[in-house]
Amino acid sequence: MVEGEKQKLEFSEEVRIGVYVCHCGLNIAGSVNCEEVAKFASTLPHVVLAKDYRYTCSDQGQAMIKSDIKEHKLNRVVVASCSPRLHEPTFRKVCEEAGLNKYLFEMANIREQCSWVHLYDREAATEKAKDLVKMAVAKAALLQPLEEIEVPILRKALVIGGGVAGIQAALDLADTGYEVYLVEREPSIGGMMARIDKTFPTMDCSICILAPKMSDVGHHPNIELLTNSEVIDVKGYIGNFHVKILKKPRYVTKDCSACGECAKVCPVTAPNEFDAGLAIRHAIYTPFAQAVPATYIIDTRLCLNKEGIIVCDKCIRACERQAINFDMTPETVEIDVGTIIVATGADVFDPSTLPNYGYGKYPNVITSLEFERLINAGGPSGGHLIRPSDKQIPKRVAFVQCVGSRSNRNERQYCSNVCCMNTIKDSLLIKEHWPETEIYVFYVDIRAYGKGFEDLYRRAREEGVKFIRGLPAEIIEDKKTRNLWLIGENTLQKELYKINVDMVILSVGLEPRKDSEIIQRLLTISRTQYGFFLEAHPKLRPVDAATGGIFFAGCAEAPKDIKDSVTQASAAAARAGILMAKGKIAVEAITPITFPEKCKACGLCTKVCPYNALTLRKELKRVEVIEAACGGCGTCAAECPFEALTQKHFTDEQILAQIDAVTEHEAHKKIVAFCCNWCAYAGADFAGVSRMQYPPDVRIIRTMCSGRVSPKFIERAFARGAAAVLVAGCHPGDCHYINANYQTQKRVERFWKRMEQLGLNKERLQLLWASAAEGERIASKIREMHEMIRKISLDEIERTKKAFGGG
Amino acid sequence: MPERIWRKPLDSEKAKLPKAEIHIIRDQCKGCGYCIQYCPQKVLEESNDINARGVHPPRVVDESKCVLCSFCTSVCPDFAIFVIEKKECKENVKHG
Repeated sequence: MVEGEKQKLEFSEEVRIGVYVCHCGLNIAGSVNCEEVAKFASTLPHVVLAKDYRYTCSDQGQAMIKSDIKEHKLNRVVVASCSPRLHEPTFRKVCEEAGLNKYLFEMANIREQCSWVHLYDREAATEKAKDLVKMAVAKAALLQPLEEIEVPILRKALVIGGGVAGIQAALDLADTGYEVYLVEREPSIGGMMARIDKTFPTMDCSICILAPKMSDVGHHPNIELLTNSEVIDVKGYIGNFHVKILKKPRYVTKDCSACGECAKVCPVTAPNEFDAGLAIRHAIYTPFAQAVPATYIIDTRLCLNKEGIIVCDKCIRACERQAINFDMTPETVEIDVGTIIVATGADVFDPSTLPNYGYGKYPNVITSLEFERLINAGGPSGGHLIRPSDKQIPKRVAFVQCVGSRSNRNERQYCSNVCCMNTIKDSLLIKEHWPETEIYVFYVDIRAYGKGFEDLYRRAREEGVKFIRGLPAEIIEDKKTRNLWLIGENTLQKELYKINVDMVILSVGLEPRKDSEIIQRLLTISRTQYGFFLEAHPKLRPVDAATGGIFFAGCAEAPKDIKDSVTQASAAAARAGILMAKGKIAVEAITPITFPEKCKACGLCTKVCPYNALTLRKELKRVEVIEAACGGCGTCAAECPFEALTQKHFTDEQILAQIDAVTEHEAHKKIVAFCCNWCAYAGADFAGVSRMQYPPDVRIIRTMCSGRVSPKFIERAFARGAAAVLVAGCHPGDCHYINANYQTQKRVERFWKRMEQLGLNKERLQLLWASAAEGERIASKIREMHEMIRKISLDEIERTKKAFGGG
Repeated sequence: MPERIWRKPLDSEKAKLPKAEIHIIRDQCKGCGYCIQYCPQKVLEESNDINARGVHPPRVVDESKCVLCSFCTSVCPDFAIFVIEKKECKENVKHG
């Protein structure tokens, strides 16, 4: 699709750069001499105009740039101010409005990465600012105007998961007018919320508020509901996904009237998963009364009829409408959609992995989910909270919090968000039915942070629920009475407790779906260290996946309560709706350009591409780029040994020019750093915002991904006498481009080996993983490298220069 | 719903499954073994006894496992086995 010759637009006119050095009030001018920087900029090649200005991003500042572009015939603009992560879009727009292609704009970050981190060294900060401007000007001179391609977006959406989040997202999209496929792997939609008795903090009946929504989904003309189905394959990219769904047979047709006569005669029983195993169901069943679709289903693992032999025909005979059909077979449904919403939910923690609490051994130790079914009027005990051992109503009940949350055991250090309020709600439910019950809640911290939460917490305390800080170390059962002893330390009163209760409820945490790896792989999305799906930006794009066209709703992204799930679902539907309403999307022009004449069709680039956006055409001796699928990491460009491929707007020449600019003077005192846009660069910005101070030796070059950093960049930096090189990217597993940073690691490790072979100190090349929140990690790395480079002799630098072919 | 299920359901007594009474006409059996092979609940096994036709007739292993599907009756070529629902009274004579 892309050919280098066509893409490399001729831009033969004289390069005329305008430079604007922003004071940002005193934010920059307080520690950088902006006038001096502007004066310096005017001496740089191609610069025809250099100004310093108080607030460049203001309306007046923008108007000034626009009129300068016209008056001075500027064809490149450099603004030295804050981070491009903040105002690059603003100034790009200014350029566009003045008739200049927006890719002819470049920014120098002299606030977050200069004035704010060198507050007390005006001289050094000014020198560094000059360097940063010089780098930006060097890159600007090589910038090319670029056109963004537009990709059409199908006006259909797929929602994976039919819990409350999936239901809300599907309804919102369907009501907007889009066609929606809702895929649920259980026989009914409803998810976790359908199993809960009451919701906090309002004590609404959970299924009563959910059932109408479920029914709406079932009847909506724009929703195609696929239950008992699983997504098995996803191909394509934003706007154009091709999805395969395996629809497993129910063996009961749509003619089913849900009368239940079949289940009455079915001779096989098993615990009902919906009731956490506390009630029975038959082989032909409906998981719960309000199930949507209401159609019954036959569980073939239980049914006597196996391998096509009808051994038992009781249900068939009982069914008046003749809705049972054992000839149904699995089918694969293929659909095309423009957007995908992932609402796959979460699993609950299995407390039997904690032997000290005795779950699975002591019958009267139950989980919070079992409690929900016991207290529910439609549950196995008809709403009576009974002890499983003797079916008596307990007089003393203990709740244990943070079971499977906030613990270093089991590697679940996160807070599950819902358990504190769920327990408070549960304790009030007990008090409501049996006011005399003694209730103890053993907690670490009570987190009642939401609207109305604190009031509920206060109510529970007023009702006499006893909150004791300090989880029990152990639960011991009295063999005769089946009562339970809780032994632990009250950490507020600093004394040991030993409390006897009739029943213990373990407030189990939420964890990622055990098979979320499948969805991760199918959709090429990332997960956090704990395994929940990772959003594109924690603050500003909280429901978007880093992969275009994919959005998150509900617990799949992180544990959350019903309200937050619904909010997020509506947000995800709105985000997906924005894309589909436009019907097309411009893809940032940072995709690869190929030079087919240099291509040897080795296929290395196709192997490192995290998006499968490159196709090797061996017969044509070249690779083809699917621009719409490309994420824009540039790791292909770093991999190509023949320079047959480079990344637009981050070309080899542009980055080399930046390196050359850094190393022009006193390179032996400088650290050349390559930081990825999403983690390390953002982390360096965060260090600035937090005013963390570090030595001014470092010059940061921004790439979209650390995977863009080609070994030849490192080579060039050393060949020109740089004291050290830092390559910094996202933590492994957190890469914005799925896994491109594994290539970074591979390349840096290979470079270390090479340095060793050349007899060079490999410490001079450093690799750092730092997230956008880890400013201090970056600052301390720079401090550490500052100490390291002070010990490097000029002789060693000369030796390195020679080793890498420098002067 | 992948959470672990380990308890006996609280209402398992409430589920009124029919109790079976299996009748085997031993001397009519020719020992083909179809009933043993096709029983979905594996209620039957070959006995050591020898009947009038000189073969081993089937024997009931666990009558409580029988769910009265009567497939044994359907497959028996010699009409030698049938199942009826056990009445809830104590004087039941066990056959087989």
